[in-house]
Amino acid sequence: MSIDKITIENHIRALRFAADELTQQKLAEHVGVSRQTINAIESAKYFPSLEVAFRIARVFDKPIEDVFQCHWKSK
Amino acid sequence: MNVSFEEKSVWIQLVGMVIGLGIYFVIAGQMALSGVREMPAYAAVFMVAVVGMVIFLIIAHILAAIMGKPEQSDERDKLINWRSEHNSAWVAAVGMLAAITCMVFGVENVWTANLLLLSLALSEILGFVLRIVYYRRGV
Repeated sequence: MSIDKITIENHIRALRFAADELTQQKLAEHVGVSRQTINAIESAKYFPSLEVAFRIARVFDKPIEDVFQCHWKSK
Repeated sequence: MNVSFEEKSVWIQLVGMVIGLGIYFVIAGQMALSGVREMPAYAAVFMVAVVGMVIFLIIAHILAAIMGKPEQSDERDKLINWRSEHNSAWVAAVGMLAAITCMVFGVENVWTANLLLLSLALSEILGFVLRIVYYRRGV
């Protein structure tokens, strides 16, 4: 089976609000990236490295699949 | 304003390079058309343009740093830098091949040198434009 298209989505915005309305700036400081990078990740303009993805999941104390989901369509 | 220090820096470098080297190429073009063929004359104009550009870059970066706290570049900045360089380096390569061709066919050094300089400048400018596009549209 060959994979045709992969879509990655995330729930960072919802998780931030659930985490006492954590700001993008605070999350960026915890993760070690700029606020603009968090903003780009949230709006799916940038897909982070595994390291940053795990760091984000760790901030929310969630497994990575609760933060990022991958959907694919097969040929 | 949703612009990182890195992106502001790209804008500053783009404006500085377009104005600084734009002025140089306008003057150099007029010199070439009026028959100036001595390389030192062009080098002097180029040096003035580069010094002016460097002063502009320093002042503009200081102002940008005062207006917003500079952050360290992160993995997204590095990816954008890499991808923009990867997609703009061909302009410099084409310019170098053209300059070598000019030398083979005995074109005057003034034209060859300025062609080389122009290709390097256009490659850099394309790189800055691509970086801004990647920052705005995503990478």
